Amino acid sequence: MRWLKTYAEKCINCGKCMDTCSKTYFKEENPSLSRVVVTNPGAGQNISVCNQCGACMAVCPTEALYRDKNGVVQLDKSKCTSCLMCVGFCPTGNMLYAASKQTEPFKCVACGLCAKACPTQALVLIND
Amino acid sequence: MITVNGEPLDWKPGMTVQDVLDAKRYTFRMIGVWINDRPVPKNEFTTTEVPDGAVVQAVHMVSGG
Amino acid sequence: MEKMKVLAEWTYTPAPIERGYTRKTLYVNVGEPRMEIKDVSQDMIDTFTGGRGFDLKLLWDAVKDTTKWNDPENEIVLSGGPLCGITQYPGAGKCYAAFISPLSGQTYDSNSGGYWGPLSKFSGFDAVEIQGKAERDIILFINGDEGKIQILESNLKDLNAYAVTETLHEYFAVDEADKRNISVISTGKAAETSYYGCMNMSFYDTRRKVARLKQAGRGGGGTIMRDKKIAAMVVKFSKMGGNLNNVVDLDTLQKVGVKLHKEIHDLDDVQCKMRKVGTAHLNEIMDEYHLLPTNNYKFGQNPAEIAKIHSAVYERLFTQGMPDGCWYGCSMSCAKAVDGFTVQTGPCKGEKVTVDGPEYETVAALGSNIGVYDPLWTIEANFYADHYGMDTISLGTAIAFVCECYELGLINRNDTNGLDLKFGNKDDIMELIHRMAAGKDEFASMVAKGIRYMKKAFAEKFKADARTMEAIGMEGQGVETSEYVPKESIAQWGGYYLTLKGPQHDEAWLIFMDMVNKQLPTFEDKAEALHYFPNFRTWFSLVGLCKLPWNDVEPANNRIVNEPREAAKVPEHVQNYVDIFNAVTGKGIRKEDIITMSEKVYNFQRVFQVRMKQGEAFHNIPLRALGPVFPDEWEARREYYDGKLREIGIDPSGLSTEEKIKKLQEYRLGMWEGLKMAVYKRRGWNKKGIPTLETLKRLGIDYPDVVAVVEKYSKPEDNFE
Repeated sequence: MRWLKTYAEKCINCGKCMDTCSKTYFKEENPSLSRVVVTNPGAGQNISVCNQCGACMAVCPTEALYRDKNGVVQLDKSKCTSCLMCVGFCPTGNMLYAASKQTEPFKCVACGLCAKACPTQALVLIND
Repeated sequence: MITVNGEPLDWKPGMTVQDVLDAKRYTFRMIGVWINDRPVPKNEFTTTEVPDGAVVQAVHMVSGG
Repeated sequence: MEKMKVLAEWTYTPAPIERGYTRKTLYVNVGEPRMEIKDVSQDMIDTFTGGRGFDLKLLWDAVKDTTKWNDPENEIVLSGGPLCGITQYPGAGKCYAAFISPLSGQTYDSNSGGYWGPLSKFSGFDAVEIQGKAERDIILFINGDEGKIQILESNLKDLNAYAVTETLHEYFAVDEADKRNISVISTGKAAETSYYGCMNMSFYDTRRKVARLKQAGRGGGGTIMRDKKIAAMVVKFSKMGGNLNNVVDLDTLQKVGVKLHKEIHDLDDVQCKMRKVGTAHLNEIMDEYHLLPTNNYKFGQNPAEIAKIHSAVYERLFTQGMPDGCWYGCSMSCAKAVDGFTVQTGPCKGEKVTVDGPEYETVAALGSNIGVYDPLWTIEANFYADHYGMDTISLGTAIAFVCECYELGLINRNDTNGLDLKFGNKDDIMELIHRMAAGKDEFASMVAKGIRYMKKAFAEKFKADARTMEAIGMEGQGVETSEYVPKESIAQWGGYYLTLKGPQHDEAWLIFMDMVNKQLPTFEDKAEALHYFPNFRTWFSLVGLCKLPWNDVEPANNRIVNEPREAAKVPEHVQNYVDIFNAVTGKGIRKEDIITMSEKVYNFQRVFQVRMKQGEAFHNIPLRALGPVFPDEWEARREYYDGKLREIGIDPSGLSTEEKIKKLQEYRLGMWEGLKMAVYKRRGWNKKGIPTLETLKRLGIDYPDVVAVVEKYSKPEDNFE
């Protein structure tokens, strides 16, 4: 399975991962459109990103969410009805949405571009 | 003596909110309890004691088709 | 299946949807045949909002004062409403149907989940109006993809619901994936003899690969379908999307929707468990509170048997872990199903089927109320009721009446054509259900016509005692009572019997608030609740929403931040509704406007009833609904009922049980009259229950033809001071 592993203790909160992610998928550097979310709640950084658990697949009424051959949970937009149940039922809060960009939700597909951009290896793409 | 939804109920020392609900056979899951107009969170039903003379409201919320 | 012959065909250009409305309605006369697309005026939107409001407005214009249910001008009108079809908020796929009911001779409105409501709107219509009578069995097909309306000659071999639905999903779909773009409205063979024929509205379950049925069960819509020789109505629309309603503010709609999805995710397991057991969680609760109808509402509990129908038993039978929403985005997911159920009797015997799981009402109606405590039997009866096209509630309550008449000796085994219809005698009761569908047995056909019909027919044909039947026949306005024992809650007498269309449970459920919480001590308090809740709940039917996500889940802090009476209204969810209505329509309503929007339609419908009943739209209540009728009912709760007498200053000692019953009845009949007057007054009606001219004016529904009805039947002496 391909997924993004996080090492919050290495994170320096430079924001490069979020810029890369939002730039890649929405053509603009905007942390609120990033699939990986870095916050600083006080005691160090917190990195939140999809762990490909698949809980969203179970609630999707149209089976628009599916696991691809690499084990990554993907959204087939042509099947999605934008109900956002997957957002409400994601155990880690990593299914995201932004009405200004698209009606469908979006999530990390473990492309690894953020990991490449990360200067401290706080994000690592794993294949296991 | 306390009152529960306007009806008297014998009070016993150490009586909790849950004891009151059991005594009234209130088994409904969606019950809100107020003691002397102060709400009691559901997760504190078994630990909150009801003082003697209290006015208890055990409000069954409507649900179902 | 062979290709069906096209009897008539029209083409149209589907109107685009703006802010929840297409502003077009479809009229089809299946008799002439004729098709017309009508415009929706701004006034129609402002006054009637949509859904049931549009249904009633179109029906009003279509019928005459004298129209009977089986006259060709009677219509079935179907509409979702402006919010119908949004996917972002749970419970937004409802379709509302209205028609002149065979049971009551006045308007009835009934609603269903499934995809018909949304798909018909996406096909271009805010409402669909069906009039006329076809000469032979037809299928109406609305093809929203191609902009085509067709009347097809039915070549269906089996007219029962599961067969019709499955066949037509297959027939109209190009492949398996296409089946979910179709919704079928069907009924069944029993609807040809019954007055409580139901309409089944389908959606295709892609995981189970079967069509699922939801019901607009009540009032006899299915009966009218068959009277019009409609075998099915089908809609197809394939270009499903996330914002087909073209809403004004998608951002807000998404945020409010996600908030509720999260709430359901976090709290449903500890609150109502709708996702695991649906409404069947109510069985044991209702029993505990003496509210579970048992043997024709004689009793409210049965401690010896309740364990057999505990929701835990049903939970094990329902297939778990499947998204069971009856429209996209319903995270409440209460549409339970029993997969791989092997049918034990009748024409489907031996077949393995997926049965849409019994709701609470059905568990009680085709269970405790007829003395049956066998979930597998109830599931089978549920299956056949849907399949044959009968409303499970009317069916159960009607059979309960029959069983009691039988046990009292008012009718005998000769009258029933050999069936031993004691409470709980499930084999013979199942046989009765099969006979209703076969339509050949005279007795079964009488049962199929409902309690009001039976009371008259049993008296005439079997010389059964009319007064006894009047006391125990649980109907109001001709409609069978749904499945809660209302005896001990005065407010619920109103919740059931002071309703627009008869004792269903979609106006007001006040039993806990009144009987247990003691929050409605005076007539004025009860009248206020009987004004607020029916109007609040009417709003769902105008905009196209399901009631359940309103109060079958509540925010974690609902009872902390709100005082008790406010908490019952779930203020945060009411605000959600205001927010999503505004997000879809851009209207800018406030909380208070919800009630006013509803009042317009509520009062219009009341005038409609007065019109159809030529001024005699009365609210009746059976004695059984007011308290014990026979000594065994009193004795089952002797201490409680003796106490009730003492409360009103009557000493029960020295009185026989019959005398006690009489005294309590007299008292409660007085209370009923008092309640009725308080409610009429609060609603702005006169002493005969007719909305006053001032009420019509205040609500802006003083259209000349509406005013004319009120003026025709109102007398000055009926005014309140």
